[in-house]
Amino acid sequence: MSNSLHKPGEIAVSVQHLGLTYTTTIDKRPTLKARLKTMGRGTKQTRVVRALDDVMLDVAYGSVLGVVGANGAGKSTLMRVISGILPPSQGRVEVYGKVSTLLALGVGFSPSLSGRANVYLGGLAAGMSSQEIENHFEEIADFAELGDAIDAPMRTYSSGMYARLAFSVAVTVRPDILIVDEALSTGDARFKEKSLEKIKELRSDARALILVSHALGTVRDICNEVAWLHKGKLIQRGKPDEVVDAYASFLQVGKSAAINEDV
Amino acid sequence: MGTATPVEVFVPFRKGLPPLRKYWSTLWKRRSFIAEYSRTQLHEQHFDSVFGQIWLILNPLLLSGVYFVLIVIIGGHSDKMRYGHLTACLFLFYLMANTLSGGVKSVTSGQRLILNTAFPRLMLPISASVVAFFRFLPTIFIFLILRTILGLPIGWNMLWSIPIVLIAILFSSGVAILISCINVYFRDIANFLPYFTRMLLYLSPILWETSAIKPQLRKVELVNPLFPLLDSWSRAVVHAQAPHLTSMLISLAWAVLVFTFGTYFFLVREREFAVRV
Ligand SMILES: Nc1ncnc2c1ncn2[C@@H]1O[C@H](COP(=O)(O)OP(=O)(O)O)[C@@H](O)[C@H]1O
Ligand SMILES: [Mg+2]
Repeated sequence: MSNSLHKPGEIAVSVQHLGLTYTTTIDKRPTLKARLKTMGRGTKQTRVVRALDDVMLDVAYGSVLGVVGANGAGKSTLMRVISGILPPSQGRVEVYGKVSTLLALGVGFSPSLSGRANVYLGGLAAGMSSQEIENHFEEIADFAELGDAIDAPMRTYSSGMYARLAFSVAVTVRPDILIVDEALSTGDARFKEKSLEKIKELRSDARALILVSHALGTVRDICNEVAWLHKGKLIQRGKPDEVVDAYASFLQVGKSAAINEDV
Repeated sequence: MGTATPVEVFVPFRKGLPPLRKYWSTLWKRRSFIAEYSRTQLHEQHFDSVFGQIWLILNPLLLSGVYFVLIVIIGGHSDKMRYGHLTACLFLFYLMANTLSGGVKSVTSGQRLILNTAFPRLMLPISASVVAFFRFLPTIFIFLILRTILGLPIGWNMLWSIPIVLIAILFSSGVAILISCINVYFRDIANFLPYFTRMLLYLSPILWETSAIKPQLRKVELVNPLFPLLDSWSRAVVHAQAPHLTSMLISLAWAVLVFTFGTYFFLVREREFAVRV
């Protein structure tokens, strides 16, 4: 979409000493009632989650960075900071190009609306023109292979259908820096195959790809570099085989140590 | 590597307002989202079907009928002016109440979008205001028919209704923006809202006319921003008289004040929404 040419090896994203904290309440929902009740007691109602802690990372054009880590490691959070959705709590993120501002997970924000309406609204919210979406829509719908279901409310979608649509949106809109967050891992075998092909096709010298995935085989296969996050910290980054091996053996150990794992 | 300049730099934000000019231009670029989002919401509420429209009109119309009967039973004097006043004011009141009820959850229910897309969050409560305005439109036609049947006076002064509606929209959007933001921090604000609007309904010159108020109770006028607004509205659309200039100015001042404060409050906090929703 963008025709500013980026040379391979040129820096695309630079993440420097990045920290991010979420503030959540202990109860599920912060309410005035709860606040008034606890006011006299002076107990703190908020819980602070350090989702990212001093993360250093850069991504070059022409490369594919894989991001692995257990659930809750902070992968999605990192993607949100890079796309400008979450302002960092500490540190700095520099982005040298047009980054996808619509993360796939934003699709389906309104479950009562159809898949079509969700794609449109998500795109418009991300700043695309309706013409642009119109141009891409056919491709998105075709790739997702949802058939008539595209006009059914998204609450009737199975998680696989949901992921298909999310993935199609993420890969059809072609920014300089493309982020695909976990949209690969769900879906049936055939769709997985197809999405893998698509990702390979999207690898280009003028683009940087960031791929969050639990499918370690895929990561090993198509990434030039892999970063492993754990509890908000960057544990290791480097060659795919090394990092994936280290992560896989960590998962094996983790099983006995009852660490949240998911492959 | 060092020569390239970043297109975008994200650093911890400073307290206070975001750069307003940039904010405004991104908001303006997203106007088609606001239009499309409002349209789909209206579609969901069956606004584009005949029965949906009838329902929209029937609700305030029935309400005004009930209140009218109530007034007759209580023994107040009732005439066609009174009925016109009641209906017109309920319609305008519903415009504002719908803006608030649609707006209050606009941010919290957009959670998924907020977490995954970068956009000016102000779009969400603004869309709610647009929806409420479109739901208000058919009631204008009903009122025009009603006032013809009732034989209410007609005149150019009725055109005052246009700035009055604009002021009403500005005011209620301001409140909607404010409470949509507060609802992020206290999710039960949405539950309190119906009580609040009900109270406002009784404390406003809707079920009673300004002229009927006891002098001791006149103070209500000073604290209820809807007072001068509804008074002007009733004068213009029911009596076809020019509203008092002071009433108009006071309502405008309230609206500007509330809108500015609400927007400021929202803008200062919106960058935090994604880590809070
Ligand atoms: N909106 C949120 N509010 C509060 N905490 C959150 C929110 N989103 C994520 N977290 C917390 O931040 C941490 C990292 O989450 P996330 O980035 O989603 O991990 P991942 O994508 O690697 O599974 C987790 O501990 C999670 O509980
Ligand atoms: Mg995630």
